[in-house]
Amino acid sequence: MSYRVIGIVVLAAILAAVPSIASEYWVALLTQVLIFGLLALSADLLLGHAGLFSLCHAAFFAVSAYTVAILQTRYGVTTIPAAVAGLVAGTLLAAVFASAVRTRGVYFILITLAFGYIVWGVAHRWASFTGGDNGVTNVPPPSLGGLQIVTKAHYYYFVLVVLAICLLGYRILTTSPFGLALRGIKSSESRMRSLGYRVGAHLYVAFIISGFYASLAGVLYIYYNRFVNPVAAGFPISVEAILMAIIGGTGTILGPFIGSGIILVLRNWVSGFFHYYTAVLGLIFIATVLWAPNGVMGLIRSWRSGNRGEGA
Amino acid sequence: MTGVIVQAINGLSLAALLFLLASGFTVTFGLMRVVNMAYGAYYLLGGYVGLSVMRATGSFELAMLAGGLAIVVLGFFVDRFLIRPIGSNHLAQVLLTVGVAFFIGEVCLAIWGGDSLKIQLPSYLRGSVELPGGIYYPKLRLGLIGFGAFVAFSLWLLYHKTQIGAVVRAGVDDREMVNAIGINVDRLFVLVSALASFLAGVAGVVGGAFLTLNPGAEWDILVLALVVVIVGGLGSLEGAVLGGIVVGLLDAYGRWLAPDFSYFVLFGPMAILLLFRPTGLFGKEH
Repeated sequence: MSYRVIGIVVLAAILAAVPSIASEYWVALLTQVLIFGLLALSADLLLGHAGLFSLCHAAFFAVSAYTVAILQTRYGVTTIPAAVAGLVAGTLLAAVFASAVRTRGVYFILITLAFGYIVWGVAHRWASFTGGDNGVTNVPPPSLGGLQIVTKAHYYYFVLVVLAICLLGYRILTTSPFGLALRGIKSSESRMRSLGYRVGAHLYVAFIISGFYASLAGVLYIYYNRFVNPVAAGFPISVEAILMAIIGGTGTILGPFIGSGIILVLRNWVSGFFHYYTAVLGLIFIATVLWAPNGVMGLIRSWRSGNRGEGA
Repeated sequence: MTGVIVQAINGLSLAALLFLLASGFTVTFGLMRVVNMAYGAYYLLGGYVGLSVMRATGSFELAMLAGGLAIVVLGFFVDRFLIRPIGSNHLAQVLLTVGVAFFIGEVCLAIWGGDSLKIQLPSYLRGSVELPGGIYYPKLRLGLIGFGAFVAFSLWLLYHKTQIGAVVRAGVDDREMVNAIGINVDRLFVLVSALASFLAGVAGVVGGAFLTLNPGAEWDILVLALVVVIVGGLGSLEGAVLGGIVVGLLDAYGRWLAPDFSYFVLFGPMAILLLFRPTGLFGKEH
């Protein structure tokens, strides 16, 4: 346990020191890693804890980003109410899409995929409101009660603080009786049902909470990126979030962030000299499934347990 | 009134195209529980191969054949060396085949470029015919409806009236049992999968003449085909026919009446249907 505390303190110290030792490029990239890591973590609440494979998390991410962008640029709403509205919009959408938990397995995967496409379709086609393919541009930097966050380093610290608070909440959630019940559902739904748990209600609530975290990632993203277009709602973002969670290791807090780091650093590096990055991404998908289905955290775990054949 | 009829024919022609793709997906799933998200990419690659063959030879039939056969070969290797080793885990299948689709999509982009391309039609399919009531309608779309109906009928005959169809149906219902009575389901699957791949490739060539071929088209068509499968029920050929017609008509009328929200018109009824019948119209629990 004390190792864990030391680890967290060291990690926090390193993260806090990054802007003073690394260039602005790395600070921006690390901010992006944290934001997409949060999106991957939100999808992993369903995947790693409840065993549901959702392909629509980009929808909540994009809806909250669009809401903030439109309120700020078109209606002059200030940062805090706009951000709250973004969170509410994304979470409400999650409450609607959560009806997918009535299905399981392949049907759940395919239905969430179709749900995700609705949002992409609206962002893409309803050009008079969403700006079509150009999206919404010129989102101002966030300002919290007169304090403007302009530089990349300041925004990085802001993201770090927000993230620390939500990871604490996530940790409390997943170790609570509710989180344990989700894990129970993952390993045997019929057993949990016969023990008297309301499985449907648990999954429904988990889906909404997961949508809330994805919406939060969307709010952080829009102030990082300063514009949003239908790409943010696209299927590739949803499936990449799942891939990040799996590469890092599902059912952990650190895993999705490791996965996000691997994917985004690789993308920045590869697209510098190779035009067809998506082909490389495709190969990463294939390689992960074939050779590293338990991800980095799974490798660490099996290494720590002395290779006694303990998987994840 | 004319608009209503024209849109109905538009919808049916899209239904025919979607059926070609969805029937393969649904039957391979039914038999082996394989979720193959690369079918959209198969469609796109088949279409591009057909485009090149059409440019080289000028024969549309040859283009369809070449597009179909190219995908049969590709599909065999993907099944044998990528999908089979990972077993029956749907999550792994989806991620793996999405990776395959990304890869194929980029290869297509590298070879055929990013512009929207259309396959030139042979002269006998160009122009339009006059339907009763003074409606002029493109020959290609009517031909597509006829082709879709022909394929659906052939598949129905194959599925319900032949020995091999009976074995496939038995395999969909209970694979272990069919294995146990001495039929090699894996080998049967190679056959069924080859047929499904062929239809996907042909669909690409037809779709390349009817819609356009461009990067991203693979996902647009895949999602529509998946909705067809979801509405009809996984593993059901009849479901794919009915689902295709429902999706085709909803899409045509949606684009016509509410262009900004056509995706809503398409997916809204699907969502409501699933609330009452989570396994689609003809589906079973999987």
